[in-house]
Amino acid sequence: MVNPVDALLILTALLAVTLGVGIVVRWRQGRPQHHVPNEVVDPERLGAKRLGDTATLLQFSTELCSRCPGVHRTLSAVAEGREGVLHLDVDLTHRPDIAKHFSVLQTPTTLILDGEGAIQTRFGGIPNRDVVELELARLTSEAE
Amino acid sequence: MTRGSDAGQTGIDPRGPRFAAAITSVLLLVTVMLGLLGVSSARGSYGWFAYQPLADEVFAPSAWAVAQASPIERALDPGFLALLVVALLFVWGVLSPRTAPWAALFRTLVQPRLTPPTDLEDPRPPRFAQGVGLFVTAAGLVLHLAGVPWALPIAAAVAFAASFLNAVFGLCLGCRMYLLLQRAGIVGRARPGAA
Repeated sequence: MVNPVDALLILTALLAVTLGVGIVVRWRQGRPQHHVPNEVVDPERLGAKRLGDTATLLQFSTELCSRCPGVHRTLSAVAEGREGVLHLDVDLTHRPDIAKHFSVLQTPTTLILDGEGAIQTRFGGIPNRDVVELELARLTSEAE
Repeated sequence: MTRGSDAGQTGIDPRGPRFAAAITSVLLLVTVMLGLLGVSSARGSYGWFAYQPLADEVFAPSAWAVAQASPIERALDPGFLALLVVALLFVWGVLSPRTAPWAALFRTLVQPRLTPPTDLEDPRPPRFAQGVGLFVTAAGLVLHLAGVPWALPIAAAVAFAASFLNAVFGLCLGCRMYLLLQRAGIVGRARPGAA
């Protein structure tokens, strides 16, 4: 057997590594990624008629996602408070093609599109509301 | 564009699985400790050694105690018994998630003291995650019975990491696997209302 002191050390290491992984994952979630392909999104493909004039908050959800409704409410509220900003919530449950196209590996995933429909920012997980507001303010000032 | 409103009606409180994961992670941490202190990671100190004068070397058929132990000795190891309990709880969680002990405990003792959940969760991903936990722990049990050293504490440690991440960070790896498999079209294509 491992002696008790070593066993406790192994246990401590296990706890530390698991905590570390959790903290890194939590830290990466909700942070904006700017280095994304600036692809122009076609609203027709997503089942929407049009995109926002200055910006679009494009949220990807699934039926099985417990955190998507909360994010939906937050992003809707953000979009309502701003002129020309539209919030689109696309259900990927039956659209694996869209999920594959945008390489969505977790829901919610949120993309911020500029007035041209080009992807500017990507959030994996729950986006931080203040950061979303900041990104939108940047896009709005650029559009003016 | 449409969100399944029917999914909300049949959902579960997402804090339930996290509560269960917290208890499971404590059990698994104890299991890792017992596994480390048990026969699984022990060197064969009481094993038989043959000294070959001509070859001038000590021949140890296996340096690991678990390989030398009889199957009954392997099965009576405290770490094995603890992991067996956790695996049986996973079986319960897969077969009948509603009546599983920690889910029942959550509903009767914890949930009445909390504010009502703001959003409900589909019960299928956490149930699938219980199955993943069962797979990992069962693999550890089988390998340990077969005399593989370290199988028990390593399997328990892997299962611990997953349940701890779920309990503390709300990060359910088994649920993610379910979503990836669903995306690949392997599981659960039907709508919740039709399932």
